[in-house]
Amino acid sequence: MTAQSLTAAPAAEAVQAELGRAARFRRYLRRHPSVAIGGGLLILMALIGIFAPLLGTVDPTAIAPSRRTRVPSELYWFGTDMLGRDIYSRVVYGARVSLLVGFSVAILSSIVGLTIGLFAGFVRWSDGIIMRIIDGMMSIPPILLAIALMALTRGSVQNVIIAITVAEIPRVARLVRGVVLSLREQPYVEAAVANGARVPRIIFRHILPNTFAPMSVQATYICASAMIVEAILSFIGAGVPPATPSWGNIMAEGRALWQVRPHIILFPAVFLSITVLAVNMLGDGLRDSLDPRLAKTL
Amino acid sequence: MLAFVVRRIVTTIPVMAFVALFVFSLLYIAPGDPAAIIAGDQASPADVERIRASLGLDRPYLVRFAEWSFRVIQGDLGTSIFTNLPVTQLIAQRIEPTLSLMVLTLIFAVVIAVPMGVVAAWKAGSWVDKAAMGFAVLGFSVPVFVVGYLLAYLFALKLDWLPVQGYTPISQGFWPWLRNLILPTVTLGLVYVALIARITRATMLDVLQQDYVRTAQAKGVAQKDVLFLHSLKNAAVPIVTIIGIGIALLIGGAVVTESVFAIPGLGRLTVDAILRRDYPVIQGVVLMFSLVYVLVNLLIDLTYTLVDPRIRY
Repeated sequence: MTAQSLTAAPAAEAVQAELGRAARFRRYLRRHPSVAIGGGLLILMALIGIFAPLLGTVDPTAIAPSRRTRVPSELYWFGTDMLGRDIYSRVVYGARVSLLVGFSVAILSSIVGLTIGLFAGFVRWSDGIIMRIIDGMMSIPPILLAIALMALTRGSVQNVIIAITVAEIPRVARLVRGVVLSLREQPYVEAAVANGARVPRIIFRHILPNTFAPMSVQATYICASAMIVEAILSFIGAGVPPATPSWGNIMAEGRALWQVRPHIILFPAVFLSITVLAVNMLGDGLRDSLDPRLAKTL
Repeated sequence: MLAFVVRRIVTTIPVMAFVALFVFSLLYIAPGDPAAIIAGDQASPADVERIRASLGLDRPYLVRFAEWSFRVIQGDLGTSIFTNLPVTQLIAQRIEPTLSLMVLTLIFAVVIAVPMGVVAAWKAGSWVDKAAMGFAVLGFSVPVFVVGYLLAYLFALKLDWLPVQGYTPISQGFWPWLRNLILPTVTLGLVYVALIARITRATMLDVLQQDYVRTAQAKGVAQKDVLFLHSLKNAAVPIVTIIGIGIALLIGGAVVTESVFAIPGLGRLTVDAILRRDYPVIQGVVLMFSLVYVLVNLLIDLTYTLVDPRIRY
């Protein structure tokens, strides 16, 4: 036996294991087509956003009054808006704003909501107070809450993300609290407590891993809803600054002209709908695959 | 029962108190100087000071909150910065179109969604079920203004069946009023239909596996009676609950729908108030809608006993 084969053997095994994982992943996607389709579309949108400068776009904020409100043509694929800006470029760059807002809100509200939910679930005396506050916040319709916050701050992507996150946190906190309360009664948690495990260990080993499945499903739905709320805020003039290319802004600009130039609204609308649909399909697929009991009924 | 009603009403008081405290405190916890932001970039320092004084930001927080909540309880929501009219008067002027739109949407959504969910559950796995649930996912994903413009383009601009936009008060006749509201109702109702249909289907799937359903079928009860009398009655509680929770979606959607169809309701009032940074108006609208939302859900809680006699308090 040569030295070469000795070193080669583990490598081949690793490749095999890698292949096994890839095959398992492929089988998972075949079984859950909505995860494959939704995830695929979402990755495509992310790539469009990332590589926006390379996709034949021009400066999405460049104003050219001489070529205003052109209809789609070979030169201006999606036409131009009232200020002569190229709608194709604005729509492609708009993917960045939408996805940034969607992902940021999903991640931020998950982290804050998880913390609050764990706290309410473990520190029992605080539960009553926290739940009353959450009930109060949940009785303000989320869009109105975001509108009220935006009315008091300057329009920026960062402020939009904060406003929508604040509106979404109560939902996550309530979900996590419910999961924690039911997990606390599980025999394996009781066994850990009986074994003398400390609270941090119980949280990180036994509780936290079990919140990930419902949380990831919830996070995708929050991502979808955040993208819609961002578009609504921008559409009614309470979102990102008008010059920033976002799908809601492009539609807001097309509003005055929609009866004669419907394409200004059409293109961003199609992109937004497809993206939200992709995220929702991903969420449904995750829900079905992570919770087989639910999958049978829902 | 009476004790429960009283207790349930009492529990809504801290919730509403928190909503009021939160909406009030936003002025103080918002980053930057709200007076300067509301006054706008062209405002003189004197304008900023005037707005600061009219919002009461120059006085201590607790004193101001006590005064403000005392007036809110008496039904005084403050004065609009832009029009100098009382906020309650502005809301009263705009309430009819919004109320009409929401009531029509509620009726439309329930009438469409519940039978859709029932049939989808009955034929679970069939193409009818798949089509209904595909439609539900679509309803969640296509934003409300996209649906609005699409419907307006097709049925108003191209086919010319219905008015493109506007609103006619119901005092000028039922049909003109309804005609103007058909497209907005369908627009706003779509996401609501999706929500209710999904929950109806899920709950019905559960109920249809119960023994009493099999018994009813075995003794020869007609299929439609099994579905709509025996099963739907037992599935009513979650469905009624989601109808109440969905009101929040409806309120948010109304703001957008009214913008798309140029309906002079509370949504338009809100949008105009944002563009003018008229915070007292926004505050008033948020408070009022939250109160409506809380009261509707309170009423729904109280009707559980009617829907399901097994629930006793």
